[in-house]
Amino acid sequence: MPNKQRVEVRVNGTRYVREVEPRLTLADFLRHELNLGGTHVGCEHGICGACTVLVDERSARACLTLAVQADGCGITTVEGLRDPSSGALHPIQQAFVDGHGLQCGFCTPGFMMTTLELLRCTPDPSEEQIKEALGGNLCRCTGYQSILDSVKLAAQRMKPSTPA
Amino acid sequence: MKPAPFDYHAPATIDEAVALLARLDGEGRDAKILAGGQSLMPMLALRVARPEILVDLRRLGTLDYIRDEAGTLAIGAMTSKQAAADSALVRRAQPLFQAATELVGHRQIRNRGSVGGSFAHADPASEYPAVALVLDTGFEAAGPDGSRTIAAADFFITYMTTALEPTEILTAVRFAPFPAGRRWAIEEFARRNGDLALAGVTVTFDVDAGLCRNVRIAAFGVQATALRLTAAEALLEGRPAQAAQFDAASKEAAAALDDPMSCIHASSAYRRHLVGVLTARALGQAAARPH
Amino acid sequence: MAIEIPTLPEQMPNDASRYVGKAVNRVEDPALVSGTVEFIDNFSLPGMLHCAILRSPHPHARILSVKVDAALAAEGVAAVLTGEDVGRWCNPCFTAPEGWGNYCLAVGKVRFVGEPVVAVAASSRYLAEDALELVDIEYELLPPVADAGQAMASGAPLVFEERGTNVMLDRTYTWGELERVFAEADRVVSRRFRWNRVGANPTETFGCVCRWDLADNSLVCHGAYQTPRFMAIGRAASLNLPVNRVRIVTHPQGGGFGGKGGPRGTDIAALLSRKSGGRPVKYIEDRMEYLLAGGGQSWDRHYDAALAVKADGTVTGFRVRLVDDQGAGAEGYGTISAAKPLAAFTGNYRIEAAGYELTLVATNRAPTYPYRGYGPPPHNLVLESLMDCTAREMGIDPAELRRRNYIRPEQFPYTVPSGNEYDSGDYHAVLDRVLQMADYDALRAFQAEARAAGRLVGIGVVNTVEPGVFDWNAYATVGVPGVGVPEGVKVAVDLFGGVTVAVGFSLQGQGQFTVASQVAADYFGIDIAQVRVATTPSDVAVPHFGQGGSRLGVAVTGAILGACEKLRAMFCTVAAHVMQAPEGGVELRNGCLRRIDAPEHSMSLAEIAGLMLSRSDLLPPGIEPCPEATYVWTAPNRNAPDDQGRCRSYLTAANATHVAVIEIDRDTGRSAILDYFIVDDCGTRLNPANVEGQLQGGVAQGVGAALYEEYVYDADCQPLVSTFVDYLMPTIHEVPMTKKDHIVTPSPVSPLGAKGCGEGAIHTTPATILCAINDALAPLGKELLETPASPHRVWKLLHEDGAAA
Repeated sequence: MPNKQRVEVRVNGTRYVREVEPRLTLADFLRHELNLGGTHVGCEHGICGACTVLVDERSARACLTLAVQADGCGITTVEGLRDPSSGALHPIQQAFVDGHGLQCGFCTPGFMMTTLELLRCTPDPSEEQIKEALGGNLCRCTGYQSILDSVKLAAQRMKPSTPA
Repeated sequence: MKPAPFDYHAPATIDEAVALLARLDGEGRDAKILAGGQSLMPMLALRVARPEILVDLRRLGTLDYIRDEAGTLAIGAMTSKQAAADSALVRRAQPLFQAATELVGHRQIRNRGSVGGSFAHADPASEYPAVALVLDTGFEAAGPDGSRTIAAADFFITYMTTALEPTEILTAVRFAPFPAGRRWAIEEFARRNGDLALAGVTVTFDVDAGLCRNVRIAAFGVQATALRLTAAEALLEGRPAQAAQFDAASKEAAAALDDPMSCIHASSAYRRHLVGVLTARALGQAAARPH
Repeated sequence: MAIEIPTLPEQMPNDASRYVGKAVNRVEDPALVSGTVEFIDNFSLPGMLHCAILRSPHPHARILSVKVDAALAAEGVAAVLTGEDVGRWCNPCFTAPEGWGNYCLAVGKVRFVGEPVVAVAASSRYLAEDALELVDIEYELLPPVADAGQAMASGAPLVFEERGTNVMLDRTYTWGELERVFAEADRVVSRRFRWNRVGANPTETFGCVCRWDLADNSLVCHGAYQTPRFMAIGRAASLNLPVNRVRIVTHPQGGGFGGKGGPRGTDIAALLSRKSGGRPVKYIEDRMEYLLAGGGQSWDRHYDAALAVKADGTVTGFRVRLVDDQGAGAEGYGTISAAKPLAAFTGNYRIEAAGYELTLVATNRAPTYPYRGYGPPPHNLVLESLMDCTAREMGIDPAELRRRNYIRPEQFPYTVPSGNEYDSGDYHAVLDRVLQMADYDALRAFQAEARAAGRLVGIGVVNTVEPGVFDWNAYATVGVPGVGVPEGVKVAVDLFGGVTVAVGFSLQGQGQFTVASQVAADYFGIDIAQVRVATTPSDVAVPHFGQGGSRLGVAVTGAILGACEKLRAMFCTVAAHVMQAPEGGVELRNGCLRRIDAPEHSMSLAEIAGLMLSRSDLLPPGIEPCPEATYVWTAPNRNAPDDQGRCRSYLTAANATHVAVIEIDRDTGRSAILDYFIVDDCGTRLNPANVEGQLQGGVAQGVGAALYEEYVYDADCQPLVSTFVDYLMPTIHEVPMTKKDHIVTPSPVSPLGAKGCGEGAIHTTPATILCAINDALAPLGKELLETPASPHRVWKLLHEDGAAA
């Protein structure tokens, strides 16, 4: 029987400590150990991007990361986007709603987490930069046009100079 | 699609890691080193790879650096690819390596994938081994008998196999200074943006009084390991940096290849053809690059 | 009393629509962007086990022995299911044509790589997969039937020995005087086409949680089901249960596109539950399982087709021979997709005669399933490519050739030779609009310039008709019984005036909950936030079907309007009684029940509903205290098919014309889409943003089918595609950001004039891209008649004789 490992993470600001099998993926850890089901799993081999989360502020595929590798890290998932006190949608979430940037919504958390990193690093992205950032996320419903528009809308609304 | 069980260790120092690997090797156990895991994890999930033990290097923070060592660019093996791609130092000192890094997968992959991991994984479709061949990259490995440096030409043995011993850890890669004015390019052909290349070519050369010097051409995605296209290099060496010469060299590059690989996306013949096309494009682009 | 369903938004009881026709935000989205929607893998039950399935590595083999002792003894394992159990407890699934079904686990022999052979239920998926490695199966290899040609060869191995043949169906349809029009043609344009397998690949694979109640002998299946009641009937049949002891609870789905259902996975999980004493069992298909053997492979087709053409470009006849490789059985209903083209066989054209020779064959490839559009995407590729070949041969502009052959606006309703009736349309207007938007003349000038410079630039102009609102009668010809597909809802008004619409389906991405909310809110003149749409389990829901065949937006609109009309009558009666108005003296307008003779006297919806629920003493005689109504909508005026399969099948006929500009890189064979234009007409656009999303999403899948995606099998029938490294779906880089416009010809026969619009783009895009590629290749005298037009395939064509080297 493999040695269980202690994993301590801070997810969306909450500290969790668990003993897990080393082979447990971060995606399964978030979903089934911590009951944070918003991180969806589409391929489990690192192509579709549905399981994208931020690990120490950087986007990562949760299916290509072991839970033990995240020990000591801060993780942000889709559940961490809404304002915790008011429940208001994050501007990226609102932009996806307003821009009809989703259909079935299964890939959407991955797209939004990727967008979150993009807009932190590149607050005023060009269309090419948006495409480059989102190139690792597959969507089978939208044909991407409304996603592109939603990200542009989010960027515009999140620009520091834009009055609230 | 879940990994088979394995034991797990995350040593805190290089010495500890090397000692652990030596012990496991002595016990005849099948240990595998985990760096960023971006290539290994899919193989684990598909149970194509099923090591008994993973030795995770994530606690070796001392292997996460990018620095200038008296003109030589040194990158710690655990440095993320995205950090390398974003580094002004890398861009200035090794523009070809920086460009190649941007071609690797997508940002989510580059964030977690390590520089050292890709070299040690030695996927023939990866950009890195080919770039290492043209850039005179040195690989520093730590093992039970201390440290050694392996030249790129000796490092890549065959399909996903390097000169690293099971008891060795790749600790750093070092790039010889890239002379100002040296021409470079990397061209690849993939079905989609971000996919592993069906074929790729990288070139470097100097232009001296209109003639090509120090020509290096390497291909990836074509055979079991990245390879220098020496016949094409020889053809171009000392010849004018002009389209007609590039064309001749690219034809030679394609013609001289031993049986390229075949897969559902590209036959052997198509890959051979692509190497010619990409060589011509890379040479042309390198010659035209402002510097 | 006959219920009149409004056929235009203006006929609803309000002064102006607040929601219908507007791109309102979707009611589905706040939960979806929050990650709180209960997709099936987010659902669990206490004591739940996890299923993993061992699958055949061989395309065709006899099972000699199965040893599961070690697996049963493995850590965490509660039950192991084998073919022996299944043979004892189950029936093979029903198919059309009948008799080509498999058991959920292989019994006796395996017929394709990926066919389930043994299943394990364990305390985690990890442990279940570990246990599978301990199963020992001995196979005797049989020669595989690797493709359709082999299947029809004499002496071929048999996929289903008991059938004595690999041919599932072989029949010929003749509509009109086919022999004469071909004999009298001035030109016959014929080609052979090959459409290779592609498939749906929703981002979420199939999953379910099944619990077999041993005391009650009943089964509850939670899962990602796009047609819940249909699934319930199928499970009852395969598992030997009464239908009323099977409850399907459908969960929101991460995309469907046709094959979402997982009958095998459901039956396996159900039987594991039965075998483990009634513990719930979860099965989540992984991507490798999906790609090898899930509901994801479609359209493996060989076409031989011809047009009969007069000297003036009039097309008079269209003849198609199709050999459709169904794979190892008809379990996925891939069979019936070959019948769908009957609904629009001759496309937008006044072609007077047509013929269809249809052969469905079994091979040892994975069974095929429905995929968005069902049969027409390949069929349209054939028809539209032949139109382009004709135009090239005759020196006529391809857009002009099409225009000459269009059904004219005054000819609607128009009955096509294959029997269906198109409700309405204006194809000339759509073509004019798209050519204007694309600046077609300028595009052709650009192309001429590019060609002069040696570039391979092509333009595709392709139009199609999208049969919308499917009916069973369209598929009678391959063995599906019935006329009329029900879609039922219950609309309830609560005592505060809130409205709940109970439906039989769940979210899948098309935004039907939003459309339902828009329609109900507008009908009752209430805020959309006051409407709630809820999914009902299959056994207690009103008869329904769910997503499929470009019908649900129209069908659920009809169902809601029908229920609302019933409520209106009920509420008017109650209001007239309590307001002491004469019978028939009260009307519903803008959400109020008001006296016609004195409109200032009115009652609100909430007042009436509240009164009905709390003051039965005030109700008129014969009125129950129940402000609720059910209505089951089905398309009007459908009929049974004749001996040539002809009938009024799909209710609506939307149409679109796409224009694509493509450049081929001579050196690599890669095709790049330079520009893409769409004008469509799907009648009333209930939610324009939803419609545009359907169009753009269909374009993306069409791009995939035309250029990237392919399920490849080798000569030994081994699948070479099992991961997303091999199956290439378009990313944001590969899909063109299309320019769109539309015209509106409301359907005279559908609820609010809306036409089915979920499939039109995938009907059109592959043909548009291939026509553009062949236009680009025309100066070289070459044609590509196979999909996908991968770089390798195009390169081979370019270089086969050194032409473009």
